Amino acid sequence: MLNNGDVILSVKDLHVKFSLRGKVLNAIRGISLDLYKGEALAIVGESGSGKSVLTKNFIGLLDKNGWVDSGEIWYYGLEGGPVDLAQYKTEEQWQGFRGKQVAMVMQDPMTSLNPLKTIGWQIEEALKLHQGLQGEAASKKAIEILSDVGIPEPERRAKQYPHEFSGGMRQRVVIAIAMACNPQILICDEPTTALDVTIQAQILQLIRNLKDKYGLTTIYITHDLGVVANVADRIAVMYAGDIVEVGTCEEVFYDPRHPYTWALLSSLPQLGIKGEDLYAIKGTPPNLFNEIRGDAFAPRNPHPLKIDFLYRPPYFEVSPTHKARTWLLDPRAAKVDPPEIIRHIRNIKLDTMDIKAKNAAEPTAES
Amino acid sequence: MLKYSIKRLARSLITLIILITIVFALLRFMPEEGYFNNYEKMSPAQIELGLIKMGLKDPLYVQVGRFIRNLLQGDLGVSYRYRVNSPIARIIAPKIAISAKLGIICMAISLPLGLALGVLMARYKGRFWDRLGNAYIVFIQAVPNAVYFIFIQLYGSTWLKIPMLYNENDWRTLILPTISLALPSISSYAMWLRRYMVDETNKDYIKLARAKGVPNTTIWFRHVFRNAVVPIVNLIPGSLLMTISGSIYTESFYSIPGMGGLLVDVIKRQDNNMVLVLVVLFAAVGIVGLLLGDIAMAIVDPRISFTKKEGSR
Repeated sequence: MLNNGDVILSVKDLHVKFSLRGKVLNAIRGISLDLYKGEALAIVGESGSGKSVLTKNFIGLLDKNGWVDSGEIWYYGLEGGPVDLAQYKTEEQWQGFRGKQVAMVMQDPMTSLNPLKTIGWQIEEALKLHQGLQGEAASKKAIEILSDVGIPEPERRAKQYPHEFSGGMRQRVVIAIAMACNPQILICDEPTTALDVTIQAQILQLIRNLKDKYGLTTIYITHDLGVVANVADRIAVMYAGDIVEVGTCEEVFYDPRHPYTWALLSSLPQLGIKGEDLYAIKGTPPNLFNEIRGDAFAPRNPHPLKIDFLYRPPYFEVSPTHKARTWLLDPRAAKVDPPEIIRHIRNIKLDTMDIKAKNAAEPTAES
Repeated sequence: MLKYSIKRLARSLITLIILITIVFALLRFMPEEGYFNNYEKMSPAQIELGLIKMGLKDPLYVQVGRFIRNLLQGDLGVSYRYRVNSPIARIIAPKIAISAKLGIICMAISLPLGLALGVLMARYKGRFWDRLGNAYIVFIQAVPNAVYFIFIQLYGSTWLKIPMLYNENDWRTLILPTISLALPSISSYAMWLRRYMVDETNKDYIKLARAKGVPNTTIWFRHVFRNAVVPIVNLIPGSLLMTISGSIYTESFYSIPGMGGLLVDVIKRQDNNMVLVLVVLFAAVGIVGLLLGDIAMAIVDPRISFTKKEGSR
């Protein structure tokens, strides 16, 4: 999937802090991540793990009480050479970057459109800003984009107001606005959470189509692993402000290495066994106001190593595309078997690979 | 839109008729002396005759009907005690003109100033302008206006030598009352606009506008202000019409012969007819103000739709 090895965005040891009620919260604790041009990266993790905060740094929408404490965010999409977004401090610096380079689709389409402006106007606003279109040309282009995102009768719909649209249609409009910016990177912050299940698949399909059509790099933020499996090339698993495991979709789903990823997958209802209680991760996430020692997941890990409580694990490479932050991958570590469910998925995978291998060995008439 | 306005107008008329009937009936419980200026010297027979002559012995519905018919013809009846036998319309017309003039000048000043202050406070929330504005608003709302009215009068007339007592031919005499009226008015416009704007800034569509790269100033005016001003637009027609009722305190402070305090006066003098006319007038102004406010709001907010709701898909 990583057809193109070009890195478009590179995060290096990023630390983001917030000041809340006089205390300092460590929201992002040393994240490093490369985003490749044209890929779909999914960032998964529970609420408060820092998924949104991380991506807000890419578009300069960090809340006022938050700041980049250290680290770099290199963006390579500009013609004038790479820029470090971590150095952007003022609104003026972000002006012209936001939207144009990185656009965003937000969670709740019911509230993310201005209720007093027509849909067409809101798309044209982006067109005027980023594509230099005016008047007739802008409205024409707006209608074109509306039809692009699958809104029927775009000429008529462009003149309507948000309240005349259903939730799914509004999300299409939000996507249309993002597309009107003509960005390099599209951040989708839980784009389907607020939608009906029947609509979710349509919206995901739409985003995927647009990604392919325009060569967009997309970042999905979600806690729905079902979404991830559908759309992502790569997955980054976040826990307590850190990426604990990152790899291709297959690697993370079928060969997870971090105990948190194990726990996360084990708690998938789809993998549960009928009649048995669904697995739940015990305890609560660590308090990010405190300094975290060792592996942040250790206190909730059913089989922690001693060292998990003492030192923070580095990334261990499983494959060139797959790495995880757990001491279990250290050659010196005791052998801990993943939970049964995880072994089960792994076997399914191995079986399918066998079948695939066999198929490859004995080409069928079709291929 | 037109259909809705007509419907609302019809409903307002019904409200007004019900109101007139109730006020009319209630005033009939008032002592009869309110219809004569020399009640004490009259014999019971004379009183009886007088009441019959004025039609007050007719059945109530006949009286109400007559009152409304006269009203439609512009005849408000005559005052019996406040100003003996002079037509009420002629008494209140010049007073309304004076109060409305003062009120409109005040609004023309306080609306832009109040809105500007509100924008400034919301824009720099928590910073200098916001704090200053808050201090001003709290002061105006918390301190009884008698206190700062006295200061305005004192400093205005003794230090700045601005003429104090109302004189129709001297515009300077309007300065101090206008300031007195505008101060609380500015504070309330600023307070509400700030509050609505701060509410709007936290909405998702503002975040989306920022995410799509709209410059800050544009966001503030095109998105935040535009949305926050809707509920204020709703209030404007009402406040504008209500200027004709005048302000009791300011007008008595500067001897302005306006409408302020007139209702209290005629109640004290038991001039039943004038009480009736004034209550109906103020109520009508209130009802029309609400009606116009709703129509004005509908003009600026497309969500308020008057036609049958189109099914959204």
